[in-house]
Amino acid sequence: MSQVSRNAGDSALTRRELLSRGAVLGLGLPTAAALLDACGGSSTGKSSKTNSIAGTAVMSNYPAWMGSHVVADFERLHRGSKIKQITSASSSIAGTVQQLKSGTYDFALADASATGQADAIGLVAPLDWSKIPNIKFVGKSFRAGFPHGIPTDYGKVGIGYRPDLVGEKISSWHDVWRLAPKFSGKVVFIDIDRDCMGSTLKYLGHSGNSTVPSQLKACRDALVSIKPHLQAFLNTNVGQGLQDGSTVIAMDWDYDVAFNKQKQPKIEWVFPTEGMVAYIEGWIAVKSSRHLPLVESFMNFALEPKQYANFVNTTGTAYVEPAATPFVAKSIADNPVLRPGLAVANVEYEHFLGQATALWTTIWQEVKAA
Amino acid sequence: MDDDLAGGEGSIVVAEPASASRVRIPDRLIARRHRILAGLLVAPTAGWTLVFFVAPLILITVFSFASENLVTFNVSFGWTASNYGAFGGSLYLWTLLRSVGLSLGTTLGCAVLGLPLAYFITRQRPGVQRILLACVIVPFWTSFLVRTYSWVNLLQSGGPLDRLAQGLTGHRFEVLYTPTSIAIGIVYSYLPLMVLPIYVALERVNPDLYDVAADLGARPWRQFRRVVLPLARPGLIAGIIIVGVPAMGEYVIPEILGGGKTLMIGNIIVSEFLDVGNYPFGSALAVSLMTILMIMLFALRRVQPALEAR
Repeated sequence: MSQVSRNAGDSALTRRELLSRGAVLGLGLPTAAALLDACGGSSTGKSSKTNSIAGTAVMSNYPAWMGSHVVADFERLHRGSKIKQITSASSSIAGTVQQLKSGTYDFALADASATGQADAIGLVAPLDWSKIPNIKFVGKSFRAGFPHGIPTDYGKVGIGYRPDLVGEKISSWHDVWRLAPKFSGKVVFIDIDRDCMGSTLKYLGHSGNSTVPSQLKACRDALVSIKPHLQAFLNTNVGQGLQDGSTVIAMDWDYDVAFNKQKQPKIEWVFPTEGMVAYIEGWIAVKSSRHLPLVESFMNFALEPKQYANFVNTTGTAYVEPAATPFVAKSIADNPVLRPGLAVANVEYEHFLGQATALWTTIWQEVKAA
Repeated sequence: MDDDLAGGEGSIVVAEPASASRVRIPDRLIARRHRILAGLLVAPTAGWTLVFFVAPLILITVFSFASENLVTFNVSFGWTASNYGAFGGSLYLWTLLRSVGLSLGTTLGCAVLGLPLAYFITRQRPGVQRILLACVIVPFWTSFLVRTYSWVNLLQSGGPLDRLAQGLTGHRFEVLYTPTSIAIGIVYSYLPLMVLPIYVALERVNPDLYDVAADLGARPWRQFRRVVLPLARPGLIAGIIIVGVPAMGEYVIPEILGGGKTLMIGNIIVSEFLDVGNYPFGSALAVSLMTILMIMLFALRRVQPALEAR
């Protein structure tokens, strides 16, 4: 057992695990592990009573947005439990909320904005944090930014660019707006309102979560002014053009820049001096769920540093659990773009905007239609 | 019952084997059976249409007069027309005009490319015709999304078409993520829907007519203008309807080839439903678009006889 896991204080659990495995292998009784689990307590909350976590919990998730062996490991450990993923997670607030309303899901992947709205409607089940002690491994700022569930990943919106093609150093959003006419048709922005408008608000010196109508209108004008010089608003493969130089400046997510930089080392990532917005994603339990103990148990399991590292290594995302660093692939852990701690300074996390959501949407449509 | 079996005027005598007695089935029984049979035959289609077309249409129309709290997503049916009022805003009108323009332009593009192609196919031997028709249809066997995404590679900066243009003219052909790339994508996707009805119209034409026109001194262009075009007109009109209507509401192609910079009305409707979650306003936009299309179709229907008679 690793240093980190020992720090988690789960030595009793290790013994119980061994007993479970011995029972399964030696006696050939598949249910023995479950019985042992059911009889024993858990100092880590890794599993509560197995009989209460048996069954199938349905999760709304992105395709392949799960550690390669996390679910299998959990199901092996907790016989009779099953995690069924439906890859239908929506990137829109409305889509997420409608899914949670459907009664199909026990828990879901969602960002902080959607989670906030779902909570405002009463769709989010409050979690019993005593069952999820591994939440302590998550950085405090991420927990604060994602209070209704367990944070799993985040994405900062910064600047990716090609210094060799731009010919000068970019250090701010102001530089992007200044250089856009010079590199007209070679600048790409993100096609998601919260990220794109949030970054533009930062450029204007406002909060990335602003709900002030005059600031939002100024944001619209700034985006409309730069739009003729944009190659596109993209929501996938945003920085791909940086590889071959068809794009020279991109408003982009950290993980996308890190990914493209692996293929084109000339790409540079910029933490804009005005600051950045970032989304936080995580798992929330749905109030209508009848498998809350199973959901909480799986959440706790997925936050174990080794399991969480498997998720990070599978997806390549920027991660929220510093304790997982020893198990994270060096290409990610040593990447200053993705590693937590250094990167999160000067970041404002996106959160639920309340009634101002409609105004954001209208302004975003005005930008797109202009 | 006895009357029915006894037969009489207006009955049918059913021939039975010699051992059996002759039975007369009255007309009204036969008519009733026909009605039942017809009803059974129509029922699946009628049921399907009712459930999956009429009911959603009614639902969307009802929703278009509702209002919604965009935080709770609770819809209240207060019969308000405010959604239709919002449609009058410059943002949506401008987008609608852009959609109409792109739809008309791409339909014209399909007609200009499809008519000569269909004519060329009909002038081939039957075996060659089948091969050429297969060439027109085969792309439909591939996923629409895959075909559309393939245009991203073809049109992108440094892509095959860009390199070809540079080689031939010295100028770059950088049209990806512009209205031009959307138009190219729509024409490519809908061209078979224009070619096939025109082919059907021209395929029925006696080829001797072309020879007669030539014998009477008509040069190829005059032949095409005075013989082929009038004969192709019914197919052309059908093609215009089949291409123009879906092109107007297209949203996938603008999404992929427009780079999020060129919105069509279909994109706004999708956004209202999936991103904003404003079902009433999305419904109002959908009903408005449908109404506009119906008006255009009725107008076309009124002028169609005159066009075909010319």
